[in-house]
Amino acid sequence: MKLTFAYWGNYTIAFIALLRTLGVDFISPEKTNTATIEEGAKLSPSMYCFPLKVNMGNYLSSIRKGADTVLMVTSLSGSCRLRYYAAIEDKALAEAGHKVDFIIFNQSYKDIYSKIKEISQASNWTIFKAVCIFLKKLRMIERLEKKAQYIRPREKIRGEIDEVLKWSFQELDEKHNLKAISVLEKEIYQKIREIEIDRNKKVPRVGIIGEIFTVTDNMVNFDIEKKLGEEGIEVHREMNISYYLKKILFPCKDWIMQRKIMPYLKSTVGGNGRDAIYEMLGYGEKNFDGIVHLLPFGCMPETTVRPILEKLHKQTGMPFLSLSLDEQVAEAGIATRIEAFVDVVKNHYFRKEEKS
Amino acid sequence: MKIGIPRALFYWKNPYLWEEFFKSLGEEVILSPETNKEIVIQGTKISDPETCFSMKVFFGHVFWLEGKVDYIFVPLMKSNKDKLEYCPKFFGIPDLAKILVKTPILTETFDQRKRPIEETLEKIAETLNKDQKTTRKAIAAAFAREKEKKAKEEHDFYKTVKSEKKKIVLVSHPYNLYDDYINVGIRKKLGDLGIETICIDEIPLNLGLKFSPEVKFHWEFGREIMQKTEEVLRYDIAGAIEISSFQCGCDAVLKEFVEKRFKQSKIPFLYLIIDEQSGDAGVQTRLEAFVDTLK
Ligand code: SF4
Repeated sequence: MKLTFAYWGNYTIAFIALLRTLGVDFISPEKTNTATIEEGAKLSPSMYCFPLKVNMGNYLSSIRKGADTVLMVTSLSGSCRLRYYAAIEDKALAEAGHKVDFIIFNQSYKDIYSKIKEISQASNWTIFKAVCIFLKKLRMIERLEKKAQYIRPREKIRGEIDEVLKWSFQELDEKHNLKAISVLEKEIYQKIREIEIDRNKKVPRVGIIGEIFTVTDNMVNFDIEKKLGEEGIEVHREMNISYYLKKILFPCKDWIMQRKIMPYLKSTVGGNGRDAIYEMLGYGEKNFDGIVHLLPFGCMPETTVRPILEKLHKQTGMPFLSLSLDEQVAEAGIATRIEAFVDVVKNHYFRKEEKS
Repeated sequence: MKIGIPRALFYWKNPYLWEEFFKSLGEEVILSPETNKEIVIQGTKISDPETCFSMKVFFGHVFWLEGKVDYIFVPLMKSNKDKLEYCPKFFGIPDLAKILVKTPILTETFDQRKRPIEETLEKIAETLNKDQKTTRKAIAAAFAREKEKKAKEEHDFYKTVKSEKKKIVLVSHPYNLYDDYINVGIRKKLGDLGIETICIDEIPLNLGLKFSPEVKFHWEFGREIMQKTEEVLRYDIAGAIEISSFQCGCDAVLKEFVEKRFKQSKIPFLYLIIDEQSGDAGVQTRLEAFVDTLK
């Protein structure tokens, strides 16, 4: 059995560490790129959502390298199409002549544990260690992403933080125990401290909301955080894997969220639909200067809530940009729209500054 | 009081039920007209550009009722009597309707995993200040009307399957099957070509039939369509046509397995995607070509 899984932004490093520590035989997914996306889309049902097509592209390149089993986390209790990813992928791959097995993790800790145990046959101690390393790397990646969001608009020499980030992720991938990771962490933060930044610079803030995969995978969202950062905008984003893990662990979070969005939406609509409203309301309260909403083209939950987000945009006057992504979207088009949006955000921000 | 019901989407899931219920409660019911060009254009204009065609049409109907009634009825349909979910887009429609129109929306959550439909109907009657007796009568009348319709459908089905003509089964959601403007008059077109059509939802379920599907859908229509596909394969069917609304997320899943099932049984299969641009002529040509290939 040779395992593989879908590429997922910088978090891929954490998943690789998990499998590596478990000692299973696996093939790391190739970084998502235009070619893998195109290949995946060709094999997928055309009306299906974009993340599935991206995943398919990842699997295909791993299958060529010998992978025969796909690991995937999904939501077997959700309301949207995510539930049928494995069924569709299995069918599409089989019809193209690839015989692969799927091991599906439901979004519950118990299910994840028992499946890991089954696949790896590892001792509980090894599993514990693997999970610790996974969580440690994951936390580090997420913290670094946040750091970069803050530094990008303020760094004196453009691109420094991204250099550090690139180096950090490479190094992180090569550290195999907690101690080495901690040492590296110190080194990374030392490097970050050395970056010269302008703390007093006036910087507008923009919140990124939307579907989890498109907001977190910089390969599918054309590195939007970097683009905005380099335009002098501080990006905030709540959605990441930890956010999700916490939601599973503390169901009350869901209740709090629903209570807050009650005047706008009374029910779940599947996926991350409600989160988008919740987060936008939060950014509004914090007086942000703009919202970017990212979604896979035609995503059922996100298109359902978009009119609500637009209403909030009209109510608050907070600039709003909704970008639907799929295999046909070209980077140039996205870049132009971001540029225009940045102007709106800056105008909004400076007018606000003048008033106060 | 005047209660408006949009003749789209949820309406077709239980036609007559809502109408009969409100009428028996003593309210005046105004149904939006059969779908027409204006409704489609209006709906397309006011809806999210990436949502499915069916939703766009639905909002067109909601908009038509604006200002003409005291309440527009838009239920929040969550799960049916088998505890299966509706399409998640249904979950958002009362709140989205509220954004679009100023007329108050009359709504209640139909989640039969939590409470039977009768109780939800009672809650609606309560909102309208009806006494218990009237309410109970109205519920009974509404159910009776539904039952009548089912019985007639079953009768029609057995008549159709006995017909000598070639039979084509139409697979889709009721709001595509019975809205003749939306489906570009497909039933009439096929009829003119000498074909008997069977709408998938009219097929009575044979409960004795063993059913072990490849995927177990959590969507009510998914389960129903897969089950009835299995059922209809026991009859002499010349072909199958599946109709999807453009950008229907659920059908992107469902179609894969419906098509596979018909193809396994060597039944010719045609897939039609409909939207505001579907033209009469284009569909006609495709239907003719399809019918020509049938044995
Ligand atoms: S099932 Fe498809 S057509 Fe019906 S509302 Fe949902 S997405 Fe639209």
